[in-house]
Amino acid sequence: FRFKDSLAEDLGRADLVISHAGAGSCLETLEIGKPLIVVINEKLMHNHQLELAKRLHRDGHVLRCNCSTLVETLQSMDLSTLKPFPPGQPEKFALFLDKVVGIQ
Amino acid sequence: GGHTTEILRLLSCLSESYSPRHYIFADSDKMSEAKIRSFEQKRAETFSNSQFTLHRIPRSREVRQSWTSSVVTTLYSILYSLPLTYKLKPDLILCNGPGTCVPVCMSALLLGLLGIKRAIIVYVESICRVETLSLSGKILYYFSDYFIVQWPDLKEKYPKSVYLGRIV
Repeated sequence: FRFKDSLAEDLGRADLVISHAGAGSCLETLEIGKPLIVVINEKLMHNHQLELAKRLHRDGHVLRCNCSTLVETLQSMDLSTLKPFPPGQPEKFALFLDKVVGIQ
Repeated sequence: GGHTTEILRLLSCLSESYSPRHYIFADSDKMSEAKIRSFEQKRAETFSNSQFTLHRIPRSREVRQSWTSSVVTTLYSILYSLPLTYKLKPDLILCNGPGTCVPVCMSALLLGLLGIKRAIIVYVESICRVETLSLSGKILYYFSDYFIVQWPDLKEKYPKSVYLGRIV
């Protein structure tokens, strides 16, 4: 797995994803609609890297745990409580930019 | 990797008017060129007159590099990006947070002050930034024309910013 170019294929076949709190991993998983458990290790990661994972958990898009509570989480999880993660809207950015530069 | 993916998503809905596109990235970056070429190739299938160029500049700062040495390397990057920005004379600069964007924007500001070329600077903070700004963001909040954030907490903390929701 170490240096695969893309995990898209593996993510596509998964029923559940357990990941560290990296932004790329979280977003990629949520975008293809897979349930995600984020394992947070506060000692390893720096505050700003955890911002997104914590926010996603707060908003109900992911489950969270730490290394020692992972098993317990897997045993008691209810994936139906997870809310879908709507995609970003770059078209809103395009509209905004058009106004900024003066394109009709 | 994250910055490039995000900026290409930002570009995905832009019209043909945004041409030619000049991509500037760090010389140490091994992955962005392939992603950009792939994006532009796809774009060329829809827009016949698609034009773009690629430019590498010295990386201004490594992650967690010390303050004093960062000032030196950033100054070096500014010196390097000044002739490039002068040559390209962009109407619009779009950036989203890697260290590379600070020297380019500073060069553009200088060119504007000297009356050579005034560029509109649009900064989009990464979606990873929910409660705090990146270092580039903290600097360019004061120097950009439009500063876009993707989470409401940041809009509250930085009232001059623009909040459009999640755009990547």
